Amino acid sequence: MESHGTAVLFGFLIAAAVILLVMAAIAKSTHEPSIAQTIVQPRGYRLRRGWLWALAAVAVVAFAISLPSFPYGNAATLSGPHFAIVAMQYGFQTPQSVPSHTPIVFDVSSRDVNHGFGIYDPAGHLIAQVQAMPEYVNHLPITFARPGHYLVRCLEYCGIAHASMQGGFDVQ
Amino acid sequence: MTTATALDRAGSRTIMWAYLVTGISLFGLLALVGLAMRAEQAGWINVDPGLFYALMTLHGAGMITAMVLCGMGGLWYLMDGELALDRGIAWAAYVLIVLGVIGVLLSVLPGHFGAAWTFLYPLPFVGATWPNWATGAFLIGVALVMLGWIVWCTQMLGCVLRAYGGFRGALGWDLVFHHRAFEQSGRREPPPFAFGALVTAIDGLLSAAAGMLVGVALLVHWIDPSVALDPLWAKNLTYFFGHTFANLTIYMAIGFVYAALPRYANREWHTSPVLAVAWWATLLFVATAYFHHLYMDFVQPHALQYVGEVASYLAAFPPAVVTIFGGALLVYRSPLRWTMGSMFLYAGLVGWLIGGIGALIDATVPINLSLHNTLWVPAHFHTYLLEGVALFVLGWIFWNLETRSGQVSSLAVRWLTGIGIFGGGAVLLLGWYVAGAASVPRRYAAQPDPGPAIASWASIGAIVLCIGLIVCAIEAVRLARADEVEVAA
Repeated sequence: MESHGTAVLFGFLIAAAVILLVMAAIAKSTHEPSIAQTIVQPRGYRLRRGWLWALAAVAVVAFAISLPSFPYGNAATLSGPHFAIVAMQYGFQTPQSVPSHTPIVFDVSSRDVNHGFGIYDPAGHLIAQVQAMPEYVNHLPITFARPGHYLVRCLEYCGIAHASMQGGFDVQ
Repeated sequence: MTTATALDRAGSRTIMWAYLVTGISLFGLLALVGLAMRAEQAGWINVDPGLFYALMTLHGAGMITAMVLCGMGGLWYLMDGELALDRGIAWAAYVLIVLGVIGVLLSVLPGHFGAAWTFLYPLPFVGATWPNWATGAFLIGVALVMLGWIVWCTQMLGCVLRAYGGFRGALGWDLVFHHRAFEQSGRREPPPFAFGALVTAIDGLLSAAAGMLVGVALLVHWIDPSVALDPLWAKNLTYFFGHTFANLTIYMAIGFVYAALPRYANREWHTSPVLAVAWWATLLFVATAYFHHLYMDFVQPHALQYVGEVASYLAAFPPAVVTIFGGALLVYRSPLRWTMGSMFLYAGLVGWLIGGIGALIDATVPINLSLHNTLWVPAHFHTYLLEGVALFVLGWIFWNLETRSGQVSSLAVRWLTGIGIFGGGAVLLLGWYVAGAASVPRRYAAQPDPGPAIASWASIGAIVLCIGLIVCAIEAVRLARADEVEVAA
């Protein structure tokens, strides 16, 4: 498990910059001599066809790449040791330590309201999370690659002390 | 079809302005609330957590309602030009929503109700730091807003069905599948904004049904706590209602772009088979994309998680390929007049597109695992609400004011407004994106590092943005007070 933050931000900013440049160029084109809509439209529609296929290709590739990393599995078939996590206003019951380099499963539930079980690595990056719900148990499969102390923060708004709701465990 | 003349429409314009002025005023006030929240996260001011979360609840619920009000007023006016609508029904919807807003204000300001707009069961009732009556006032307030919304959506649905010949005509079925025969028949296709009205009415009624169902269930629990609800059931209904209600603000406000941008560009934006099909896709995917809110609920049936990602991706196609692309094509090498109105309408397309990319990234399940409920979420939805929907609304307001007064704003005012709203807005938004990528959680009154440092420079952006909005408001008042030279039909 790793955080996607920096790569995601970088990719997003590049896409945003490209959009801004293209839309600014289109806006600037209004200062040039105008062209009849009957001439612009057919060209634009040809371009649109290419744009549609390009977007479709991106969407299909993105979906295909994402599929193997979906975190959902049948709890009964999730192998490895299971560790119970109980969230409550405003703290977590967590194990003191869990093993590294071993597939494990967190069985996450809540004693009162909806909470979020967000795992932050020793560098402070959010690497995985799951909701902690009353009356349900969410099973989060995870393998820790790095030993160290992992902080847990609540990631679902749960009341007045939500921001201070923390826990933690060691990965050994 | 009964088409109202310009002179007949004075009463209709009054209705439109009542909705627009109420919505945009609420927007302005809640922008200041948002600034206060960001300043608190920066450590500039000290707000008690109870008050902070009450203000957060007000800001979230109120801003969406503000944009919905603006969309309702403008789209109602446009459809009223197609088929004269009963004004009493429009006023009834308006009054219900205003009463609902008053209920929410009462619950939040004196009552400090702070369960967020999501009010995820059983939060409003467990560990509450606010009085019991505030929970009831909030739920009743939201129910009144929903009632007004149902009245409006029902009127809108009746209007499009009567105006264009039932569902078949309103959907443009014959235009798509029997194109030549349709053209030869001399029938008129629905204008582009009518598709926005149709989709908003249908998906809006579905969202209202879910909202009323969970709202009434929560009210029953409020009255009799022994009646328990299923938390996953409540969560699904809440997000279906909330996501769809918020998302539809875009599809209402895009009607303003369809109606006004061609007038600025001196070109036509007419309904094509491609546009009709795009709106069919929007009708379907707006109602199914909400599953992405429950990606981190692993107990949700897994098939729905896959549907969530696919529907979220597909929901992007109609705007990206048809509406935003169509808007850009309309403007390209056109003799477009750059005024406050056209500037806002065009810039809103940019904000919608960029915010959409941020949303698509977050709608990808493995990425959502490390972005869900971080500040990346307010980053992307503020991009397409603040720099998308709100700009469409401002564009529509200025289109009407400019048309009515025959005046446009000076270049200096446009620059000042642009620097404030686009420049300040960009800094504000960038703060959320950077903090989200750095794993800073959302909905924290006191954020962990690097949240406060980022909130400091983001708050400067928010101040600049507010200055831009104030300049914009002053300019709008100036144009509104100018003598009328033309009656907008």
